[in-house]
Amino acid sequence: MTAMFLLGTVICALSTLICWTMTAVRAHPADSSIISLAAIELYLIVYGIYAGVRQAMGASIAGEAWEFWGYILTALMLPVGVFIWAMVDKTRWSNLVMSFVGLVVFVMVYRMEEIWWGSAL
Amino acid sequence: MGKRTVVPDGAAAATPAKSPRNRGVGMLIITAYGIFAVSAFARAFYQITPFPQEGKVQFVDAPLALSLSAFAAAVYVVATLALARTSATAWRVALVAVLIEMFGVIGVGTWTLIQPELFEVATVWGGFGRDYGYIPLVLPFVGLFWLFRHRP
Repeated sequence: MTAMFLLGTVICALSTLICWTMTAVRAHPADSSIISLAAIELYLIVYGIYAGVRQAMGASIAGEAWEFWGYILTALMLPVGVFIWAMVDKTRWSNLVMSFVGLVVFVMVYRMEEIWWGSAL
Repeated sequence: MGKRTVVPDGAAAATPAKSPRNRGVGMLIITAYGIFAVSAFARAFYQITPFPQEGKVQFVDAPLALSLSAFAAAVYVVATLALARTSATAWRVALVAVLIEMFGVIGVGTWTLIQPELFEVATVWGGFGRDYGYIPLVLPFVGLFWLFRHRP
C-alpha cells in the first residue's frame, strides 16, 4: 500500500463521514461538506500531477496508461459534477448526495493503484 | 397519538410527499444512476475502442460481453436523464428503462452463472453486478419504488 493510497482513503472516508453527519444536523448544504469535496478534488489533482511527473520521467505502470488516465479524468469530474447537481436543490439531501463522492473516488483510486502498481494493497 | 384525519379516497395518501420526483431522496437515486451511467459508459468505451495494446480483449474476441456492457451503459444514460425530468413522458421512459435494467441485471447475472465460459471478460451486469458491489442489482428496485411513489 502506498502513502498516496492511504492518504486518499483517509480523505475519502472523512469526506463521506462529514457529509453523513451534516445530512443529520443541517437542513441545507453544509460548508464542511463542500470543503470536504474540494479536499477530494485537490487530492486527485495532486495524485494526477504525481503520476504525470513520474510517468513523464520514464517510470512504467503495471497496467495500461490509457485506462489509468481515463480513471483520473473521470474521477476529477466527479466532485465537480456532483457538487453542481447537489446545488440544484439546497436541502438536507444535498449533503447525502455529496457523500457519494468519497465512496466512489475511493473505489476509483483503488482501481488506479491496481493499474499503477499491479496491486492496491 | 391523535386520531388522523381521514382522507376521502386515498388521493392524498398516494402522494405522501408533495416534493417532485427529482428532488429530495430522488436526487440521491438520480446521482447513483448518473454515476453508473458515467462508469458504465467509460467502461464500455474503453472495452470496445480497439486500443492496440497487449492483453486487452478486443471486441471481436468477446462480442457478447462487450455488447452487453454498451447496452447497460445506454440503459443507465436513458434512465438517468428520464429520472431527472418531471414530465409524464419522462416518467414512462424512466419506468421502461428501470424495468429493462432490472431484467437485464437479473438475466445477465443468471446467464453468467449458467454459461461462465461466454463471459471471460467481465460485463457490468455479470454476476448480478458483483464487480460493483451488487449495487446494480439493488438500484432498479429502488428506482421502481421511487417511480411508483411518484406517479405523474
